[in-house]
Amino acid sequence: MTRFLLRRLLLALPALLGLLVLTFVLLRVVPSDPSTALAGENATPEQIAAIRKAYGFDQPLWRQFVVYVGQVLTGDFGNSIFTEQPVLGDITRRLPATVELVLAALLFATGVGIPLGVLAAVYYNSSFDHAVRIVTVGGLAIAPFWFAIILQLVFAMDLDWLPLRGRIPVGMPPPPTVTGLYLIDSLVAGRFDLLTTAARHMLLPAFTLSLGSLASITRFTRAGMLETLQKDFVAYEKAAGYPERRVIWVYVLRNSLVATTTQIGLLFGALIAGAVAVETIYDWPGIGSYAVQAILTSDYKAILAVTLVVGVIYAAVNIAVDIVHALLDPRVAEQL
Amino acid sequence: MPSRRSLLINSTALAATMVSRISWAHGQTRTHELNWSEGPPNILDPHVIFDGPMVFYMLNTYDTLYRYEGNPPKIVPWLASSYTASPDGLTWTFKLRQGAKFQDGSEIVAEDVVYSFQRLVALNRGPAAVFKPILDSVSVGEDRYTVQFKLKVPYAPFLSTVPIVAIVNPRVIAPNVKNDDWGAAWLSANSAGSGPYRLDPATYRPMEAIDFHRFKEHFAGWGHNANPVELVRNRYILETTTRVSALMRGDIDAIDHYLPVDQLDRIGRTAGLRVTNDETMRVFVITMHNGRAPFDNVHYRRALSYAFNYKGFIDGILKKGAVRNPGPIPQNLWGSPADLKGYEFNLEKAKAELEKARAAGAPVDREIEIHTQNQQAQTTQAAQVFQSDLRKIGIKLKVVPNLWPPLAAATTKPETSPDMWLHWVSAYFVDPENWIGQMYDSAFHGTWKGSAWYKNAEVDGLLREARRELDAERRKGLYEKASRIVVDEAADIWIYNTIQMRGLSKRIQGFAFSPIGGGSEFRLLSLT
Repeated sequence: MTRFLLRRLLLALPALLGLLVLTFVLLRVVPSDPSTALAGENATPEQIAAIRKAYGFDQPLWRQFVVYVGQVLTGDFGNSIFTEQPVLGDITRRLPATVELVLAALLFATGVGIPLGVLAAVYYNSSFDHAVRIVTVGGLAIAPFWFAIILQLVFAMDLDWLPLRGRIPVGMPPPPTVTGLYLIDSLVAGRFDLLTTAARHMLLPAFTLSLGSLASITRFTRAGMLETLQKDFVAYEKAAGYPERRVIWVYVLRNSLVATTTQIGLLFGALIAGAVAVETIYDWPGIGSYAVQAILTSDYKAILAVTLVVGVIYAAVNIAVDIVHALLDPRVAEQL
Repeated sequence: MPSRRSLLINSTALAATMVSRISWAHGQTRTHELNWSEGPPNILDPHVIFDGPMVFYMLNTYDTLYRYEGNPPKIVPWLASSYTASPDGLTWTFKLRQGAKFQDGSEIVAEDVVYSFQRLVALNRGPAAVFKPILDSVSVGEDRYTVQFKLKVPYAPFLSTVPIVAIVNPRVIAPNVKNDDWGAAWLSANSAGSGPYRLDPATYRPMEAIDFHRFKEHFAGWGHNANPVELVRNRYILETTTRVSALMRGDIDAIDHYLPVDQLDRIGRTAGLRVTNDETMRVFVITMHNGRAPFDNVHYRRALSYAFNYKGFIDGILKKGAVRNPGPIPQNLWGSPADLKGYEFNLEKAKAELEKARAAGAPVDREIEIHTQNQQAQTTQAAQVFQSDLRKIGIKLKVVPNLWPPLAAATTKPETSPDMWLHWVSAYFVDPENWIGQMYDSAFHGTWKGSAWYKNAEVDGLLREARRELDAERRKGLYEKASRIVVDEAADIWIYNTIQMRGLSKRIQGFAFSPIGGGSEFRLLSLT
C-alpha cells in the first residue's frame, strides 16, 4: 500500500506541473498585460513601462514561469495583481467555505442518490424507475445558475423561508475559527443558534450544487446494481433464503459501489470547480466566487493559485478513491 | 437506541423547524447601522489607484484640500480654507484650516500635505499621471498652515485635480514602510486618513467586506446631521440579481448604480424602496480607431455616426435612463457647446457618407470589430443594436466579448487597439480636460482614454492652449471650438450622458447626489 501511495503521489506531480504550465501559458498569451492593471486606470505608457520592469513582466515568459514555480515551491503564491494582498491568505480564508459547501452537497447527493439508484434498479422499468430517470436527466440538464436564481426567488423572496445569500447574515460574527467550517465550528463553540443559522444559509446553495451529482450518483448506482443483480451469487443467496432486504442493501449494494465510489471521488473535484456559478449567485465567499473575480480582473496570480489548489484537491481525492476501492474490493488491494 | 422511525420523525421535525422560521430577522432596522453594497476599491491606498470605487472610499475615509459637492458639482474648500494662483499660473498657494485632525488625533499641517503629494508622485501609479508631468515642487509655505505648489508649466485645471489627492497621515504610515515602499503594502489594506468614517481593518476582506465607524472628531463637525450613522457595513455582492434581491429583502439598505433596467423595475415596484434619478457626468462612447483603415477616413466615421440609433437605444433599451450627449464633454458641463447637434440616426445619410468613403478608396467592405465589456450588459446591447443597423447599410460588424483589463492593456498600442470598443468616461475630475483634453490631445496616445488615436494639429493646439489658459471664459471658448472640430470629424461616437439610478431603502434620509462619488457620502446620511 505504501509503494502504491508513493507511486500515485509521484504520478500526480507531473500532472500538477503540466496544469501549471498550461494555465500560465494560456493566461499570459492573451493580450492582457498585468502591468496595465497594476499601474491603475489613468496610467500613462511611461508609468506602465516602469511597472512592467519593476515586476519583471519584461522578462521572457519562460523566465517568469521559472521564477513563479520557484515561489510556489516555497509556498508563496505571490500577491494578487488586483488587490495586492497575498493570494495564499485569500485562498486559505476562502477555501473552508467551498469545502463546507461541497461536502454538504456531496453528502446530500450521496445520501439521496444511492438509495434512489438502488430502488430504481430493484423496481427496474417500473413507473418509479421512469420517474427517477426523468428527475435525474433533468438534474443533469438544468443549468445551476438558472436553478439557483429560481430557488432564490421562490424560497427566499416569495415564501421567505430561507436566507438569500452568504454564509451568515450581514453583521453577525462567525463562530471562532477551528476548522473554518461554520457548522463544525458552531458545534465546537456550543453555539446551536449559529449552527441553525449557518445550516439555513447552506440549504439552497448545497441543494443547487448537489443536483448534478445527485443525478450522476443515482444513475451510476442503478447501473451497478442492475449488473450485480444478474450475478450468480445473488441467485444463490436468494435461494439460500437470505432476507431479500439484506441481499439487496448489503451484498448487492456493496458489490455495486465500486463505480459509484469512483464517481463520488471525481464529483468532489468537479464540485469544487463547479462551485463557481453557485457561489457567485448565492454570494458564497469561497474560492469559486474568488475565481470569478480573478478572471474578471485578469488577476493571473489568483487564477493560477486557484487552479493549482483545485488540481491538488482533485489529485488527492483520486488517490483517496483508489484507497477506498481497495477497501471495498480486496482484489484491488491484491493487485497493488 | 432510537428506532429508525423516530429518527426519521425527529430529522423531519428539525428540517421543518429550519425552514418554517418565517420571521427571520433579515430586515435590519437599527437606526445607527447601515448596510451598504457598493463595489469597493481593489486596493485601499488612495495614491495607488483612482477610479469610481476609490472616490467612494476616499469620500468617507480621507479628506482633500478641496472637494466637489452638489450637482452640478461645485469645488469647495475642504481641508484648505482658500487658495491663490500667481498670474503666470505657475505658483499655487493653499491655506490650511487650523485644528483639523487625522483619525489618530494628530493635527493636519502643511508637512502632511507635502508628504501626501510627494508620496503620490513617488509611487507613480494611476493618480500620479495628472501631476507627474506638471508638478515641479511642493513645499511648506510661510507657516505650518501654508502649502505652496510650483508647476513646471501653467496648468489651468490644477484646482480641479486637487480633489484627486487624499491627504494621508505620515505618522501612521512611517512605522509601516518596508523596502522604501512609502508604506504602500500596508496602506493597501489599512487607512491613514482624517475622513468622517474610519476603516475597521479587522473587517476588511478585499472586494468583499469593509466596515466603517464614525469619526466623531471630523473637522467638518456633525452639526448638519442630527442622527448620523455610527457603523456602515459595505458588503459587495458580485451577482446583480442577488444584490437587488438582497436590497428588496432588507438585508442591505442601498446598492450601487450600475444596474440594468429590468433590475431597476424590480426595485421600483418594491414597497419601502426608491430609485434615485440624477444626471451624472459619465459619457458612454464607442471609441473608433482613427489610425486604422477604414476608420482613418472621415466619411466612414461619419457613416458609422449616422448609423447608431441613439433615440432607440436610450428610449427603448434604457427606458430613457440617459440623456443624449452629442459630443465628448458631458452636455451639462461648461465647454460643451450649447448648440452642438452631433449626429442623429439617419441611414440615408450614412449610406451617402459610406459611398464618399468608398470613392476615396477606403476599404469599406472589410468586416470590422467592436469589443464589449462582458460585465456591462449595456455594452453588449449597444453593440447588437449597432450591428443590426450597420447590416442595413452593408457593413459587417463582429461583436467581440471582452473584459476591462485586457481592453485597457490592448488600447496602449495602436496595433493591438480594437477597431471599436464601448466604454464610459467618468468624472475623475470636473473639467473638460478630463474628457476632451485627455481623449483627443495626441499627447495622450497610449492611454485608454486616448485610444481613438485621433490626431489633429489644430485640436492639439486648442487643447494645449486651454490647459495653459487661466481665463475661464477663454478656456470655455477653446474647448467649445475643439468640441466642434472633433464632432465634425466624427472622431468617436458619443452616445449618452448617464443618469444615475441607485436603489435605496426609504429608511435612508439625507442622500445627496454629486457626480463625484455618486452620493455615497455616509456623513450626510441618517436612518429612520
